[in-house]
Amino acid sequence: MNNAHTYFRPDSVGQAVRLAAERAPDFRFIAGGTDAMVNRFQGTDAGSCLIDLTGIAEMKQIRLSADRLQIGALVTLDELERASAVRTEAPLLVEAARAVATPVIRRTATLAGNLLCENRCIFYNQSEWWREAVGYCLKCNGDICIATGGKGGCFSKFVSDLAVALISLGASVRLADKNGEHAVALEDLYTGDGVQPRRLDPTAVLHTVEVPRGRGFRSAFRKLRRRKSLEFSSLTSAVTTDRHGGIRIALGGVDPRPILVTGTAGDDPRELIAKTVKKARIIDNDTYPRLYRKEMIGVFLRQSFDELG
Amino acid sequence: MERLTLHVNGRTHDILVNAHETLAAALREKIGLSGVKIGCEQGSCGACTVLTDGKPVLGCISPALRFHDARITTIEGLADNGELHALQAKFVEKGAIQCGFCTPGMVLTALDFVSRNPHPTVPEIKEALSGNLCRCTGYKKIVEAVAEYAAGAPAQTPPAAGAAGTPRPYIEAGKKARGGAEYTDDLQVRNALYCKFLRSTHPHAHIEQIDTSEALRLPGVRCVATGAELPIRFGVLPISQDETAMAIEKARYAGEIVAAVAADTEAEAAEACRLIRVRYRPIRAFLEIEDSLGDAGDSEKIHDHVRFNNNVHKKAELRFGNQQEGLRNADETVRMDFEFAGVNHGFTEPHAAVAWWDENGLTIHTATQVPHYLHRALAKVLEVPLGRVRVVKPYVGGGFGGKSDPFPHEIIIAHLARKTGRPVRARLTREEVFLTNHGRHPTKMSVAMGVSRDGILQALDADIAIDGGAYGSFGVVTSYYNGVLLQAPYKLDNFGFRTFRVYTNKPQSGAMRGHGAVNSRFAVESLIDELARRIDMDPCELRLKNFLGANTLTVGQYRITSNGSREALLRVMEQSDWKKRRGKLPPGRGLGVACGFFISGSALPIIWNEQPQSVVHLKLDFDGRVLITSGASDIGQGSDTMLAIVVAETLGIDIEKVFVLAADTLLTPVDLGSYSSRVTFMAGNAARDAAEKLRQEICSAIARRAGLPETELYIEAGRVCSHDKSVDFDWREAAEILTAGRGAVSVSGKYISPKLGGDFKGAGAGLSPSYSFGACVAEVQVDPETGQVDVLRVWGAHDCGKALNPLAVEGQLEGSWHMGIGQAMSEQMRYYKGLLLDNNFLDYKIPTTLDTPDIQTNIIESGDPEGPFGAKECGEGALHPVIPAIANAVYDAAGIRITRLPISAEEVLTQIKMKNTLEKHQTAETL
Repeated sequence: MNNAHTYFRPDSVGQAVRLAAERAPDFRFIAGGTDAMVNRFQGTDAGSCLIDLTGIAEMKQIRLSADRLQIGALVTLDELERASAVRTEAPLLVEAARAVATPVIRRTATLAGNLLCENRCIFYNQSEWWREAVGYCLKCNGDICIATGGKGGCFSKFVSDLAVALISLGASVRLADKNGEHAVALEDLYTGDGVQPRRLDPTAVLHTVEVPRGRGFRSAFRKLRRRKSLEFSSLTSAVTTDRHGGIRIALGGVDPRPILVTGTAGDDPRELIAKTVKKARIIDNDTYPRLYRKEMIGVFLRQSFDELG
Repeated sequence: MERLTLHVNGRTHDILVNAHETLAAALREKIGLSGVKIGCEQGSCGACTVLTDGKPVLGCISPALRFHDARITTIEGLADNGELHALQAKFVEKGAIQCGFCTPGMVLTALDFVSRNPHPTVPEIKEALSGNLCRCTGYKKIVEAVAEYAAGAPAQTPPAAGAAGTPRPYIEAGKKARGGAEYTDDLQVRNALYCKFLRSTHPHAHIEQIDTSEALRLPGVRCVATGAELPIRFGVLPISQDETAMAIEKARYAGEIVAAVAADTEAEAAEACRLIRVRYRPIRAFLEIEDSLGDAGDSEKIHDHVRFNNNVHKKAELRFGNQQEGLRNADETVRMDFEFAGVNHGFTEPHAAVAWWDENGLTIHTATQVPHYLHRALAKVLEVPLGRVRVVKPYVGGGFGGKSDPFPHEIIIAHLARKTGRPVRARLTREEVFLTNHGRHPTKMSVAMGVSRDGILQALDADIAIDGGAYGSFGVVTSYYNGVLLQAPYKLDNFGFRTFRVYTNKPQSGAMRGHGAVNSRFAVESLIDELARRIDMDPCELRLKNFLGANTLTVGQYRITSNGSREALLRVMEQSDWKKRRGKLPPGRGLGVACGFFISGSALPIIWNEQPQSVVHLKLDFDGRVLITSGASDIGQGSDTMLAIVVAETLGIDIEKVFVLAADTLLTPVDLGSYSSRVTFMAGNAARDAAEKLRQEICSAIARRAGLPETELYIEAGRVCSHDKSVDFDWREAAEILTAGRGAVSVSGKYISPKLGGDFKGAGAGLSPSYSFGACVAEVQVDPETGQVDVLRVWGAHDCGKALNPLAVEGQLEGSWHMGIGQAMSEQMRYYKGLLLDNNFLDYKIPTTLDTPDIQTNIIESGDPEGPFGAKECGEGALHPVIPAIANAVYDAAGIRITRLPISAEEVLTQIKMKNTLEKHQTAETL
């Protein structure tokens, strides 16, 4: 029971990775904890060891280099909203951050925590009692998907609003793990499998997010939600164009991973939109019905293209 | 356990915590700072917000060890040597505090916000507070308090004198502001055990075996109880004693308590619950109204006592005049079908209780609206004399009807306390609160109305089915209210309804703010809007033409005395610029109107007897202090303050001389409880009666001493004087004269409803000594591409007779409208195979500050002839008109009728598309 619980708060990335390697696999990194602590309360995340990263000062910096904006993964969403470098270089991120959760949660919730936020489903984000009563689903070691009634796979939805924005900006992330240091395009972090949505070494610490700069980005952002605050995404879209005619369309909330469709200024927006809609594996696992969310992808993207001209 | 050092409110604490303990738990349990409130456990409500090194964090989802050596400020640390912080003082002054449960988090969040943004706009304040849920205030007064604090507005102190009609904060508001008000879970009771419950995982199942042996072996476990130990049935209504404290033999909903454990710690009790093995044999579950209305066939019914082979709990039907003939004779008739999701009260303080036994018998402190009915239920189920049960209500964090039944957890902990010989406490998680439910019934109805071409309503016929869930609760009353509360505010000669309440295998429905009539009011106001359109009449005009007047009888023989309908409607028409703007707004923008009325207390007690409905005692002692004792339950609606106002006003003394001791069944006389909007009218009248008697006592004692006739004496501004000024005593002197040779003087006042109503079966339903009336106009924006509806503004007016405390009345109205907006726009309880999906504050969508439009509040004072100083209901009735006003505004904006709540973007969009297609076809045909 509780007596076995341990808690660590390393002060460097290296120390965090070492601790993780010692403890793997029964540990959980937490940053702000606004997602993980709720999941622990509900029993969907029950490891006995917490490695709290919030003491790592090196992960809290925001830097501008010649060609990129580097954001420490522990920058809180509130700090992100307010950072002048972010406001000027990537105002899309400000908009996306402000769409997340509530202002008080954003004081604690971090950028990386948002990017690595657990996938969600109305049949999964429930208490232990509830999940026992319904019969455990694929995502909690059961053998059936409650939402679809199938056994083919878990389609829990990907809900990071910041990831959608960052992917549309072509961002990459830097990770440290027991094998060393890596950089990957953000979209490549995600598997598309609702049970294991992230492709990460268990010891990996995502420590920096890098956003390209100087490309003349223009972006449009939308989030579908019932209330204007305190909501995970039912559909998030970000469309970014650059001065070279590149178009990156990213979606969240409609698939186990973020959807990315790229195009150029010469493409017919209608075709790009149709292609994006087609990629989304939406199921009825949200407060909005599947068909409505699907329809709203088209509406959001059309509005976004109109907004960008 | 780990060592943790925290510098809290200027003092250093070294404590031991579990490695994963949350900051909120550590502050509450280890340091005793119970101003840190836990409302949802999942970071959704904001009540647990504290400042750590100056920054707000949600204590319930933050690991305590993260804050080693940090400076923490809780609500208790804001006041300086007893002097409220300026922001706390503003919360008090502006009436931003009702139940007070969200106040600590709200104040700390606002404090941090203003420190970072010293000159905020109102939209910025709303944005900043959008992670802190309040269920009482509708946020309006909170936002005002923050705005005034930021602007540096000087604090205003309310005058002590001039009691009735003077806006004043609740008498306990300062205590709530500083985090000192103890709610049930804050009470420290030594040597208490913790109780946790095992709940059925099946909606309908026989319990074949319960094996508690493993649970009993767990260290720390003191007792495990199962249903068979508490076989006596209970229920709030004498006619619906259909529930046991725990399921016996079968479970009737997923979430019903099957066993309970008392252990040394909460964690041990929870772990023991996991070790109890229950073998269930599931049987067919009845989950929808239709399933339960129909013949059950070979399936086992939910309750044996149901008369036919179905699951109909109650059929209520009343008919006046001839509805069919009325509809036939009408020039225009409309019939529409409606469907309403169940909604929950969403009070911020979860249920909690602590019970023990001693020389007085059973004592239970619990978050309840009805100590009296709980008192009776405990005595019955535990088989103890009524005189051996004491129910005490501490501060309560909101109720709205959700704390107005006796609850299983209250009975179970009393039972476990008796078995173990130790105090036993329980607090429900938010999910358990939702499973306990007793919220508004999911409802389906078909309603027809007719009108003549000149705009006179001809008939109303309603066919209603309500989903009661597994047990009776207030359901029989709800069944009637759905119908009978349609017989006003309009004159109707041909009026009838039939309601079926069915049992289903879901958490039970019960009474919720606006009890019984909210959904059917929605239907009627929608139909009236449609009828007005068909006869091409302004819907306000149509309503004005049909209002009942003052001092009249309804068709079902309700006695209407004071009636401010007309004034209320005219006021909101004027403020919204109705005549000029309705129908002339840009596409997608619309205005809608609706009216409503409600009872001001049920004229009949739930348990028929000859006791008064409310008794208030006053005691005047040598020091001049007047102690009010009353069974009335302040649940954040301000009844303690109301009692003080009524007594001070009647006696002509400052409110500071009056003290309130309420809702303790050992110490206070019976009041039936805080339900059906009865307290101001009934307890207020009892208080007035008592104060009149005390006044009489004082005047006769002084008259005797002065050798003057009593009629020469009067009390004013705290002095007892004679007209010729030969007598002029201050209050203290007067008290000394009265108590000389006699000691403290006690008097008793009471309220008994007049005999009312017809002599037909069902005539008693909805009878009230007075009725409140109100109207709302709403303005909405509908996005034709997404179907999203935005409520932009609400203008509301409500006739409360007389506002004894205008600040409190505004708060009640704004809270009612906010709650109505929630039901209209986002709140619903959805189930999957009988399992409640929306069981937390993320999925159950109470509107945040950002979802709450600007509300214009109007108090209408019609002066009720029987209410205390003319006062009547203001806590529930205002909710009725706001929902249909929004729906009617959607019609004005987009030309579509809302017949299903909550209003959803997906359905609005579907309807808009259907309408567009239809119009295209029609245009094609005309061409």
